Amino acid sequence: MARTVRRPVKRLALVLITVVSGVPVLAGLGMTLLKALNPAAWSVVWSTPGIWSSLILSLWTGTASTVFALFIAHLTVALAGPARWTGRLRAVILPLLALPHLAIGIGLALLLAPSGLILRLLSPWLTGFAQPPDWRIIQDPLGLSLIIGLVTKEAPFLALMLLGALAQVPSEPLMLASRTFGYGRLKSWLVSVAPALQRQIRLPIAAVFVYGATNVDMAIPLGSQTPPPLSIVLWQWYTDSGLDLQDAAYAGSILLLGATALGLISLAGAGRAGAALLRRVATSGRRAAADRTLRRAIVSLPLAVAILGGGALLALALRATSRMWRFPRVFPEHLGWNAFADSAPAAASPLAMTLAIATLVAIAAVALTLTVVELLSDNPRWTRAVGLWLFLPLVVPQLAFLFGLTWLMTRLRLEGTLLAVMWTHVLFALPYTWGILVTARAALDPRYQLAARVLGAAPLRAWWTVTAPLLTRSTLLAASLAFAVSAALYLPTLFTGAGRIVTIATEAASSAASGALHIAALYGALQAALPLLAFAVASTAGHFVYRRFGGVPR
Amino acid sequence: MNSLGFRNVQLRLGDRLLFAPLTLIVEPGVVASVTGPSGSGKSTLLSYACGALPAAFTGSGDILLGERRLNGMNPEDRRLGLLFQDDLLFPHLSVADNLAFGMRRSTLRRVERRQRIAESLASLGLQGFEPRDPVTLSGGERARVALLRVLLSGPSAVLLDEPFSRLDAATRAQTRAVVFEGIRRHSLPALLVTHDAEDVVAAGGPVAQLQLSQEI
Repeated sequence: MARTVRRPVKRLALVLITVVSGVPVLAGLGMTLLKALNPAAWSVVWSTPGIWSSLILSLWTGTASTVFALFIAHLTVALAGPARWTGRLRAVILPLLALPHLAIGIGLALLLAPSGLILRLLSPWLTGFAQPPDWRIIQDPLGLSLIIGLVTKEAPFLALMLLGALAQVPSEPLMLASRTFGYGRLKSWLVSVAPALQRQIRLPIAAVFVYGATNVDMAIPLGSQTPPPLSIVLWQWYTDSGLDLQDAAYAGSILLLGATALGLISLAGAGRAGAALLRRVATSGRRAAADRTLRRAIVSLPLAVAILGGGALLALALRATSRMWRFPRVFPEHLGWNAFADSAPAAASPLAMTLAIATLVAIAAVALTLTVVELLSDNPRWTRAVGLWLFLPLVVPQLAFLFGLTWLMTRLRLEGTLLAVMWTHVLFALPYTWGILVTARAALDPRYQLAARVLGAAPLRAWWTVTAPLLTRSTLLAASLAFAVSAALYLPTLFTGAGRIVTIATEAASSAASGALHIAALYGALQAALPLLAFAVASTAGHFVYRRFGGVPR
Repeated sequence: MNSLGFRNVQLRLGDRLLFAPLTLIVEPGVVASVTGPSGSGKSTLLSYACGALPAAFTGSGDILLGERRLNGMNPEDRRLGLLFQDDLLFPHLSVADNLAFGMRRSTLRRVERRQRIAESLASLGLQGFEPRDPVTLSGGERARVALLRVLLSGPSAVLLDEPFSRLDAATRAQTRAVVFEGIRRHSLPALLVTHDAEDVVAAGGPVAQLQLSQEI
């Protein structure tokens, strides 16, 4: 009886979430492919000087940033070890994770550049510089600054994924078992826990690689310009007014897609080789028990990431609140509200637009997620399948499907509308809201709902009076994450908004692209402030709801 | 009050029959016991009775309240009270709100509902517990609140899923007495699922032993 009533609703919810998320990605990808079936476009691509260097640079940044980020993430989680530390680590990482790539990129540019905060701290007393040196520290041709930027963002992300996977792996007994055989802590982790964790985070690793190799957000402030990464080339072509170059952008994004796919395959191969190597290490008999010094030294890696992230935020804040800032001075001459207030009015309307979009996106993504998670709560197989489907926009290069999707939206007369922008934002927010709410829902004892039912509550009332309240805190967290994702999105806003929807992200990117770093700093600071604000609101609210009740899940 | 009946009840996990067909009538005020080795489907039998059989299982046979068949009804319409191994008090509701959750809306006015909650708490030595957070209660107190929550919901029968197994020895005997006494006072038929021999003795009613079925 109950089942027959629920089935159509369940189908509807499934159809809805499928249509909202994966279908636009695949349709956009298909459209891009169709538009790329154009020999003239390909000849433009092939005849572009430096196109191969651009492609190689993209793959190199993707690979290097993924490997370093993964390395640091593993070490961080391994060092955090006991549960009381992992809890704290998670609390530090979540807000870090929500900071937009673009804002961190602009902040790092302000931190690392020859005229940046670090050299100011060292000049002139150590370096002797009275003028910024003529060095290519950021936007260097080897892509090192871009790699540093990506690692700063992705190491925390992967660490969080590892912490999540830790719940599925009996890490403490495994560690204890290998330590009783005399193995040191690092080696125990490396040979017993790390391989099991690694299997669980393959998808996030793929997402990190794809993002590193194809992103525009961080490549704008930090990527090299001679030659630029392929993503930047395509972005310039697409936003160019000439139709020839636009067509070339479609073709080029297919080239980027193919190269990324090949990259992913080789990464998987390298992963297998690494696992085989690790098995040899595991069976070598070496105990590596005296790893204390090594462990102390390793702490510097996560610390460096934290310092870079914090330094980037500080540099953003300083630059956004100052007018003049002559070189060797560590602090600007006129630091303060005035400078901010001078430039802030221009930011008011993009800020309002960003807030409106992000709020609506958060509400839509959370409502859709809660509904589908609930309807599928008795079906783990479907839940997993939907989770994979929702992950699609994170493993397909944004450029490759956004080009085609924008074209489709133009046909549907949706281009440049708020609906189009919010739709693409929801699509990017869903994998995060899904991840949080599925985990939280699965952790709830299903017998609470049964208890409510046998006490006379119909399914909807049981959900509303028992399940929903127990998920309040996770829902707030998911909403703030969706808000943060939306406020950070640049390319989807630019393309589906047809340049008519102006947000903090589009302003930050366009000012950074034109080299106006002092303006970019203002928008970057606002962009960084928004998710932090959302998290502060969510965690304060989460602290107050059911504060009297110690048994409500955190 | 009506009796609670099981007629030819069988459960299958995939193709495997869990136990030989069960037929049992429990008269009002009687606590019958079902025992059996773990894996024999004791708890699943209760899920079947209250209409919440997990998707992996299939069941057949009638669940009867007097002459009325409950099969096919939603859990919320069966009026079977269920006491779990864990008390499962809703952690976001105070003791009073937990008790009010199960009370039928139509029966009483707000003031009267509060009055009844206070009286029932006092009857089990829990005066003034209304505003308490469930996690601050001791195991025995929680078990008593869970019992009151079931009794105040006006059930037609009570199902008990090893409700005393998590309590320490001293509290267990006392709580058991309180629960059985409450059930008898309301003249409710009750089915207790347990593998504790003392439970069976204290229940005093008929005993059905689930045999692991060899049949496929």
